[in-house]
Amino acid sequence: MRQRSLIAITAALAAGALTLTACGSRDSGDKGSDSGGTTVVIGVDAPLTGDLSALGLGIKNSVDLAAKTANKKKYVDGVKFEIKALDDQAQPSSGQQNASTLVADKDVLGVVGPLNSSVAESMQKVFDDAKLVQISPANTGPALTQGANWQTKKERQYKSYFRTATTDAIQGPFAAQYVVNDAKKKKVFVIDDKKTYGAGLASTFTAEFKKIGGQVVGTDHIDPDTKDFSAVATKVKNSGADVVYYGGEYPQAGPLSKQIKASGAKIPVVGGDGIYDPTFIKLAGPNSAGDLATSVGAPVETLASAKQFVADYKAGGYKEEYAAYGGYSYDAAWAIIEGVKKVVDDNGGKLPDDARAKVTAAVQNVSFDGVTGKVSFDEFGDATNKQLTVYAVENGAWKAVKSGTFTG
Amino acid sequence: MNAIGPVEPGEGTTAPRPEPRPAAGGSTGHPTAPRRALVAVLAAVLLLAAGGYLYATRPHVPPPAPPVPSQLPFPAQVVDVTFVGPHAAPPGASPQTFAFEVLLSVDAGPEVTVTRVSQPYAGLSLTTAPRTPFRTAAGTARTIVITMHVTECGTVPENAGLPFLDVTLRNTRAIQEQSFILGPRYARALSQALQVACSNESG
Repeated sequence: MRQRSLIAITAALAAGALTLTACGSRDSGDKGSDSGGTTVVIGVDAPLTGDLSALGLGIKNSVDLAAKTANKKKYVDGVKFEIKALDDQAQPSSGQQNASTLVADKDVLGVVGPLNSSVAESMQKVFDDAKLVQISPANTGPALTQGANWQTKKERQYKSYFRTATTDAIQGPFAAQYVVNDAKKKKVFVIDDKKTYGAGLASTFTAEFKKIGGQVVGTDHIDPDTKDFSAVATKVKNSGADVVYYGGEYPQAGPLSKQIKASGAKIPVVGGDGIYDPTFIKLAGPNSAGDLATSVGAPVETLASAKQFVADYKAGGYKEEYAAYGGYSYDAAWAIIEGVKKVVDDNGGKLPDDARAKVTAAVQNVSFDGVTGKVSFDEFGDATNKQLTVYAVENGAWKAVKSGTFTG
Repeated sequence: MNAIGPVEPGEGTTAPRPEPRPAAGGSTGHPTAPRRALVAVLAAVLLLAAGGYLYATRPHVPPPAPPVPSQLPFPAQVVDVTFVGPHAAPPGASPQTFAFEVLLSVDAGPEVTVTRVSQPYAGLSLTTAPRTPFRTAAGTARTIVITMHVTECGTVPENAGLPFLDVTLRNTRAIQEQSFILGPRYARALSQALQVACSNESG
């Protein structure tokens, strides 16, 4: 009798416990929903081969990470994100062709890229005609958003174009202020590669440098297709300049710095985000110590929000570094993901027929805490978060020396 | 977001099967006293078990954990400094003195102390009201009056496009110097003030 009672009590307790456990687990269990219903493609356009591929592959991988993160979190119910990455080789013609290819793919609802402002110029209209949103993580040419006359009258160019990077309207003057006030250099020799980005950046630097008391002792252009800059290096040496400003990218800036020092002019070369890459230091050699670069954003190590990105990128097993624009690329992709989420949520959980136009409109109003800080866009499509940093070459690596925030 | 849920039975765990009840026949249909006691005990035990289980698996509201220093924001990421406009110079100040207001706000994180405010040009000096160091809590903003004095007109730029203020910020995470580029309105106000100050000097 006692044994039977014990068994009965045990049975009752076990049954009760199992029943309660089942009740308790209902809320915490996986709902088992399948987010693979609709595939949305995020296009990527960047130089995936060639001299600038270190930056381009960082962009592609970071967009890939954003898509995978959204899928893992099932961030947009019923939507699975994929990326479609095309190589523009830093050529405007290739960029335009890629833009047409992405427009033709009906699953593409947003594009991240390109790296180069000159490439962006060739793509903007193609995307805008198709109402397909484009967000560049790296374009800094002011005219892309504010028009050719941006210095006197700002005018939005394309409703479909946005960027997460800040512009040369701030980057050039910030560099000039640092060179004059902090580095105490007053005589500059300005060189550019005649491209949209390089010439534009050199121009904004020069204007501010002169306004704050600097003197331009010489100017020249280089042909980016060559690596022999001995003639311009000699001109720099003979000019008496105490600093060189170069508007262009690291494949040319590295050898240029090396050859200027070899000419006997032991003066720093300063550039923009286009030279802020470890490859510059490799190409320029050990005499590049003291060279300077401005780049968009705050140093990653000072952004708590970037820590997760850095850890996830590492865990993602990508072969290449996320490089200068990784965080901005992730945020650009996430802005598109936020736009898709808004459109899907507003349409009863499904993509509407005019999804591209609606995603473009939604991106204009996104606001979220991204890798690089608060992400949102102003009336021109520019990032509202405008930070930048001066880096110096020290012990064979770039080291942050001054950071600024534009709050105007 | 609490990831800790109720303990689930492990795979293969089953409740013990109760023994079959004895066949009815000898029973009178009325529980005897010991059986009534047993039912009462069983009910009490079940009640206690259920109560204990519900208590053990109640939704937990974890006490707020103190933030790990590495999770705290760097001060430059939570502070904004914006240009407000010109401010009257102190009574009796020299013609080379002018003032304006900026608004400093702290979005989040621990309290931020401003330990220094400076500007980059050699021919200018500045003071602030309140005087540094001063503290600002998260979610609040305070107006700062910047009073500038031209010490040497020849070394100040009268037409800088994007002048800035250097502000040294400290919180429990880090000390940072950040340049706040206050935009074209500040650039115009500074240029006008410098032109007036230096025309007074030359005149």
